[in-house]
Amino acid sequence: MMFKLNIITVSLLAMSGSVMAANFGVGQANTESVNMEKYQCKRCVSETGYSGKVTLLTGYNSPDDLHAGNALGTAEDGAIAAISGELRYLNSTGYKASMQAHQLGLDNGFANLKVGKSGLYELELDYQAIKTYESGDARSQLWQNDGMLTPSVYPNQFDLALQREKSAIGLNYGEGRYNTFLRYSQEEKTGTQSASLVAPRPTNFGLPVDSTTKQLDAGASLAGDNWLTELSYFGSYYSNNIQDLSLPYLSDVYSAAPDNQAHQVSLSGQYQLDRTVMSGRLVTGRMIQDDSLIQMSGNPLQSWDGEIETLDGRFAVTSMLSNRLRVGASVDHSKRDNKSSSWEFTQYSYNALSGAFKQNVPQDIKRNTYKLNASYRLASGYRVQAGFDRKEVDRSYSEREQTDENNLWAKLNVSAFDQVNINLKASHGVRGGSEYQVNELTSSEDNILMRKYYLADRTRNALELKFNHSPLSWMSIDLTGRYALDDYDATIIGLTESKDYGYDLNINLQLSKNLTAYGFAGQQWIDSTQAGSQSFSSPDWQADIQDEFINLGAGFSYSGLMEDKLTLGGDYLFSNSISDTYLDGSALVGSDLQYGDYFSYNHSVRMYADYALSPKMALKLSYQYERYYDTDGAQVGINTVPGLTTLGELNHDYNAHQVMLSFSYLLR
Amino acid sequence: MICRLVKRVLVGIAALAWVSVSVNAAPWDHLTGEQLEQKLTEKFTQGQYSPKGADSCLMCHRKNEAVMAIFDGVHGSMNNKQSPMAGLQCEACHGPQGKHNKGGKEPMIAFGAESKLSASAQNSVCQGCHNDPKQMAWHTSTHNLEEIACADCHNVHSAKDSALDKLTINDTCTSCHSKEKADMNKRSSHPLKWDQMTCIDCHSPHGSMNESALNKPTINDTCYSCHAEKRGPVLWEHAPVTENCVTCHNPHGSVNDDLLNSRAPQLCQQCHAPDGHASRVVPEPGMDAFGGGKSCLNCHNKIHGSNHPSGSLFQR
Repeated sequence: MMFKLNIITVSLLAMSGSVMAANFGVGQANTESVNMEKYQCKRCVSETGYSGKVTLLTGYNSPDDLHAGNALGTAEDGAIAAISGELRYLNSTGYKASMQAHQLGLDNGFANLKVGKSGLYELELDYQAIKTYESGDARSQLWQNDGMLTPSVYPNQFDLALQREKSAIGLNYGEGRYNTFLRYSQEEKTGTQSASLVAPRPTNFGLPVDSTTKQLDAGASLAGDNWLTELSYFGSYYSNNIQDLSLPYLSDVYSAAPDNQAHQVSLSGQYQLDRTVMSGRLVTGRMIQDDSLIQMSGNPLQSWDGEIETLDGRFAVTSMLSNRLRVGASVDHSKRDNKSSSWEFTQYSYNALSGAFKQNVPQDIKRNTYKLNASYRLASGYRVQAGFDRKEVDRSYSEREQTDENNLWAKLNVSAFDQVNINLKASHGVRGGSEYQVNELTSSEDNILMRKYYLADRTRNALELKFNHSPLSWMSIDLTGRYALDDYDATIIGLTESKDYGYDLNINLQLSKNLTAYGFAGQQWIDSTQAGSQSFSSPDWQADIQDEFINLGAGFSYSGLMEDKLTLGGDYLFSNSISDTYLDGSALVGSDLQYGDYFSYNHSVRMYADYALSPKMALKLSYQYERYYDTDGAQVGINTVPGLTTLGELNHDYNAHQVMLSFSYLLR
Repeated sequence: MICRLVKRVLVGIAALAWVSVSVNAAPWDHLTGEQLEQKLTEKFTQGQYSPKGADSCLMCHRKNEAVMAIFDGVHGSMNNKQSPMAGLQCEACHGPQGKHNKGGKEPMIAFGAESKLSASAQNSVCQGCHNDPKQMAWHTSTHNLEEIACADCHNVHSAKDSALDKLTINDTCTSCHSKEKADMNKRSSHPLKWDQMTCIDCHSPHGSMNESALNKPTINDTCYSCHAEKRGPVLWEHAPVTENCVTCHNPHGSVNDDLLNSRAPQLCQQCHAPDGHASRVVPEPGMDAFGGGKSCLNCHNKIHGSNHPSGSLFQR
């Protein structure tokens, strides 16, 4: 394959030289007659000093449910306040600064500051807080303190929410042909998430999260007229401040995510020869994990020498052979070489084949991807594209050690009509590979008819039609329809078929100079079928999973009221996610079964009025309403199911409101 | 009498219509894209730049707010020697004026949706200066192959480019990527619809040397940049997890919780069919420990891999 691609590359290079391209780059300009000393710019506006605006926000938040904090920016109940703003500063010698802040003071917000001299250096400081809320009424009798999960008599109520706070500092330096960058960031992730342990009954509990991820990136680049190269380093260091968890009567029931680090060094480059561009990159990396292991009988190690060496390479070329024809090719190689050692460890669950001891299996994965593509302009406004992609994956210790996927695709773009664009894309992909076999080291217990869906033979056909129409100068309509069918033709047990189809429609209107409006509607269906065998032979049950998604929205903005001082706007969004599961087959006692409800919907409304008090001051009143409902039949009370302890029913059903009054001051 | 009045009105409307058409129409509107490119290439080669720079242009265009907004952004800065306004000024990007100002008979290089000029010709202007590592994979990128022009996303005649503002990046991307826009609103998704995350946290719109224009060499590397606790390596790996996060998750959103392609137990049963246990039909989600609570994950909770010496079944 490499050899074939080399021939293609050479022939592309040979053919590309004769074609001239329009290149209006300023470096190509014929400036013989230019005398810049005569340039005047009396009409140019160059204002130095500060500009931008600062906004103070204050309001009332009524989340009703902690989960509403996701949409409202904070789950706080009652009065809230925050500050937002955008500031720019420029002086006459080219020093500049800019700052952007968004909702600082709420649980979700960010601030960014950049200072420097245009085209020479820039120092950047960045802060971001993201808080995601899962539930405010999780309940558990297990309470974590210093690695010990202590049972209490009555369940405690607590929040399931995670907060990320990331701070970063970065420096760019360089001008013209060379550039360098250095960036350091640190993210603290704290909160509680849902987890479960076996002791020996399955018990759901609130897993404390307290970790730090540090990231250090640095790089330098050099550029010439037709080439570019960059050498860079990326380092990531994860440390978990939560230890392995124990119960008073059972130690180390839940292991903590181990500290780890990853390093990558990347060398990349690009070379342009007229209308042929080649780019390539080589990344070598190492992932290391040698955290202390839990000490117990049957563990021969203090710590394990987990180490993965990675190598990723790519070479790509694209060339305009004529003004009508473009061709391209690329080769990608990715290797994950697991250098970790392999040992035998005692397992609690008895393994019928290998006994109580089990050996860890460090898996190697190697991928090669080859792509060819061509684009040909049939006539003005008509273009066809076609391509062939091949992906090969080799993995050790697997039921199927080698898979390959060939994909043929074609597109037709029609832009010949003034107000209509049509894009049609079709693809046909086939995945096959080496013989599928049950492997002793992996899944010796599996039914021999099982084909894991990510390894199984698969035929994938997909079609997409995009239609863009601007019937009037003030109206544009986009309609997209999609259909994809995955057929796992060699699978008897496992996922056998998946069909994904849908459409979306977007309309944008510029009804007058001051009035804009939009609307959208979309639906998607994913129908999957899978088979199982309770009798460990041929299939005796089948599940049909029918997913459906509906998305509707509309909004407007009108800025022409009270002598253009008042802007009114509104947005509405409705989304509904449904997943229905139907069971059928002889393994079922009685008739066919439909799973319990599993759906969610929300109505989101935003309305605002923005009034300019003066050229420098503005007031904005906004209102946000969130109606949210989700349900899942799997959610049960703490002890509803004998032998299982949950965190309670964590479904949501709420109406949340937020009223915000903001005052903005314009600095110029 | 009435007939004459109607005739006058019609003539008046026709005259007004002609005037309005002739005001909006430019002498080069009849040129095809290829003819326009040819003409502009000739002009560019001749290099007849205006004697006074920007003033020659602003003499006519100064009343256009969109034109004057160039001075609000970095491209209009005159004290940055790399800025076009510090060099050939307007003509650095729009090409030499030639006879454009003499009766408006010659076209200039124009950008955006209304321009008949090919995307590659438009983009050559931007690439004349923006030749840095972020653009290294542009030529082989899907956006380039789809003939997307820089000006389709970026606006340099503005204080703020919406493609660079964290609060409007997602709107910029989803104005074309409508499926991903819908996905953000599914039952579970990354927090994109509230602009807490942006598309460019994972993807490079200018193309990258990675799959799906991702920022990191592999899909998993991209996920690990925020989910480093799942990076490992760990003693007991779950093979499909190590191979590819999207085996089980759809990062753009899902109708299932946790961005899963299917819910447990069905998702797990698409790969696991041992004797008894995982093969059993789970008739109702809330009836027993196989379907209630976290389903299979009630016991196999360390599904992303375990570093416990006895964690081969991801139970501890």
